[in-house]
Amino acid sequence: MINFLLKRVATGIVLIYVVLTLIFLMLHAVPGDPAMQLLAGDGAAQVTPAALEAARERLGLNAPLPVQYWNYLAGAVQLDLGTSFQDGAPVLDLVSERLPNTLELVLLAVLIALAVGIPLGSVAARRGGFVDSAISVGTSIGMSVPVYVVGALFVLLFALKLGWFPAGGYEEAGGNFVGHVSRVVLPAAALSFGIASIIARMTRSAILDNYRQDWVRTARSWGIGRRLVFRKHVLRNSLTPVATVTALQIGTLLGSTVLVERIFNWPGISALLVDSVIERDYPVVQGIVIILSAIFIFINILVDVLYGYLDPRARVS
Amino acid sequence: MFGYKAPGRTTGAVAAGVAIGLLLSACGGSSSSQDSASGEIIEDGALTMGLSAEPANLPAGKDTGQVGYTLNALLHRGLMAYDSDGKLTEGLAESYKVVDPKTYEFDLRPNLEFSDGTALTGSNVEQTLEYLSDPDTAAHAYGGLKDIESVEVSDEDTVVVHLSQPNNAFLQYLAVPTAAIVPPDALTGGVDAWVGAGPFVLEEHNKGTNMILKRNAKYYAADEVPLETLELAFYPDGKARTNALLSGDVDLIDYVPWEDFDRVSSTDGITLDAQDGPFMYLHFNVTDGPVANPLVRQAIAHAINRDNAVAAAFSGHGSPLSGMPVSEDDPNYDEAWSNMWSYDPDRAKELLAEAGYENGLTLSLLTSSQYAFHQDTALSVQADLKAVGINAELNNPDWAARVEQGNAGKYDIAVSGNVGTVTDISYISAFVDGPANYTRSFGYSNAKLNDAFSKAMLTQDPGEQQKFYDQAREIFAEDVPLTTISSRAQGYAYANTVTNFKNLPGFLSFYSGYSLASMAEVSQ
Repeated sequence: MINFLLKRVATGIVLIYVVLTLIFLMLHAVPGDPAMQLLAGDGAAQVTPAALEAARERLGLNAPLPVQYWNYLAGAVQLDLGTSFQDGAPVLDLVSERLPNTLELVLLAVLIALAVGIPLGSVAARRGGFVDSAISVGTSIGMSVPVYVVGALFVLLFALKLGWFPAGGYEEAGGNFVGHVSRVVLPAAALSFGIASIIARMTRSAILDNYRQDWVRTARSWGIGRRLVFRKHVLRNSLTPVATVTALQIGTLLGSTVLVERIFNWPGISALLVDSVIERDYPVVQGIVIILSAIFIFINILVDVLYGYLDPRARVS
Repeated sequence: MFGYKAPGRTTGAVAAGVAIGLLLSACGGSSSSQDSASGEIIEDGALTMGLSAEPANLPAGKDTGQVGYTLNALLHRGLMAYDSDGKLTEGLAESYKVVDPKTYEFDLRPNLEFSDGTALTGSNVEQTLEYLSDPDTAAHAYGGLKDIESVEVSDEDTVVVHLSQPNNAFLQYLAVPTAAIVPPDALTGGVDAWVGAGPFVLEEHNKGTNMILKRNAKYYAADEVPLETLELAFYPDGKARTNALLSGDVDLIDYVPWEDFDRVSSTDGITLDAQDGPFMYLHFNVTDGPVANPLVRQAIAHAINRDNAVAAAFSGHGSPLSGMPVSEDDPNYDEAWSNMWSYDPDRAKELLAEAGYENGLTLSLLTSSQYAFHQDTALSVQADLKAVGINAELNNPDWAARVEQGNAGKYDIAVSGNVGTVTDISYISAFVDGPANYTRSFGYSNAKLNDAFSKAMLTQDPGEQQKFYDQAREIFAEDVPLTTISSRAQGYAYANTVTNFKNLPGFLSFYSGYSLASMAEVSQ
């Protein structure tokens, strides 16, 4: 297991290096001058060539590309991701301010999705008939409706029509806990909509598959009650693929936060990433992409470990 | 399927958990503002404004868009300012005297201080004006302040400004929010101008969320600022901003999206205050190719159905514009400035034939996908041009790439949106003269046009001035350095708990922070 983990970590580090290099090259290849963005912004400022040149020099953009790359790489291995072109703040500070907000959103969405998806899938598998069909239709809709539509509908219904929740925004949990919770529920629920449907369908299919196994029949023939067989054997075995899919969906959820954070005005890292791409704030974009990649790789390693825990055969292999 | 009973406990527990969560959360939800409709004015009240962007920085004197103007009007003051009717008024200057057309004398208010407690003296005025009039600063108000030849501090409270040539709009340029007087460290580069001598002081900046501003007790008219606290909550998404207002999360929003105008104005307890100000236009790369020929530019100007463009880009909330907007309050106002090119596709085809393009031509049309109204304007123009035989190939990158390609002249036609820095008619000269800029026709220069504008701005004789502006207009109409498409309504919206706030008229709409700072009140 240790060897396996070490191998995965080493592969992860190589992957992060590749991502770092690719994002560096891609950012420098796309048109758009960070110095001009800094000086002109959204306004129509008259920027003189001298002012532009001075800004480029200050941002280190006049150095040859290999030198810029080397400097960035040297900083990254020391966990120095540079400073924002726009406001001069260290990238790590910006990321550490925003990342917890996004992770909170994603983790809450996963919890909601598990809490809704597993029972729904179980009911569909065990009840069959109309209930199964109704849940199948519902989850098909859940998987096919884009998150921005769900988000917009949630705002219209729960914020504007019913007035149960604020339409968006953020409050520090330390300052106003209830206010904080009230603002995170809608975006997390919107984010969980699709993945809850996927989990429900995966649970249903895995349960049905397990019910057809010989060992279920054997267990029943030994006189073990149906509920016990379901809880102790069928459900547990069915959760292995569910756990894998859920963990892999976290990457998709991180991507979906780009839209959800915008709709609900949630100050997460995805909103910062979009703004930084627009402003051509290279250090911030690079820093966020590297950290998100690291998170994604970490999750994949975690999935492997979890898989081993849930399925002893995988552990042995 | 297997004849089991549903595991009611599991689903029941989940349902109960969700219900409790919803209930708990709903307790924290804010109520609709309509429920707390206007009552008595709250003394030292607090107002929350949904702002259309988060200012990453606030470099002294620079143009960082509407949010920058708003912050400058809240945190800073210049020698001059605008009142809530858009009339020019004194700012840090208690009074001024036009000694002669090239000399202005300003008496500063007594005991001025920046919000950090340091004294604001004539030296600060001198340093700031020298900074703003330096071409390397690339200041927003440079177009009008470049004429500053020298600044003389005759005593701590009196400043004399000498101009290199008369400038009738000089006082207006001093009232532009970015022309504020700032502390010396904000002039050296790298330090943002968060400290100022304006009505508010920045107390807190929660990145990605909000800014908390408090009334600046050291402001010269602090006792006339109705609000004690102003929260600027960042809502970069237009829909989210509108929803925040309608759900009562914020009291006031800027930059109301045009597609939301009807929804906002039809909501009880909400006021939409929109002013036609900024305008959309096409400019050209005239260095070579077909659009270097003025006849082709005239043809394009006549080919555009401006009503369609207003409907497509602004849901009808704007006005067709076939000339340069000039304020009716301007002494040189002439309706002819706004009506240069009629919509006449047949005339456009004749002009193209005259220019040698009777079989049509292909041109590149640069716009930006980042702003829907730029993109939609371009799509409308593209269809109009096709109707007269011009195949306009759309180039639609994001804004940073649009700026770069505009500065490099990589286009035949480009869509831009802009506004005059001041309302004086002289603002037009900045659209036809100066170094390459992504908002101006690339390679365009017309000596006769520049000469007419220069003479109009130099003369003090109203009759002569009118004559030169007429000349400029005639050259403009024929040479088409740019062709306007529409003005657009710039909207603020607020709950009925907000009183006395005004969207300033015309180009000054972007400077409405002045009204917010000095007039806006909240009621119970």
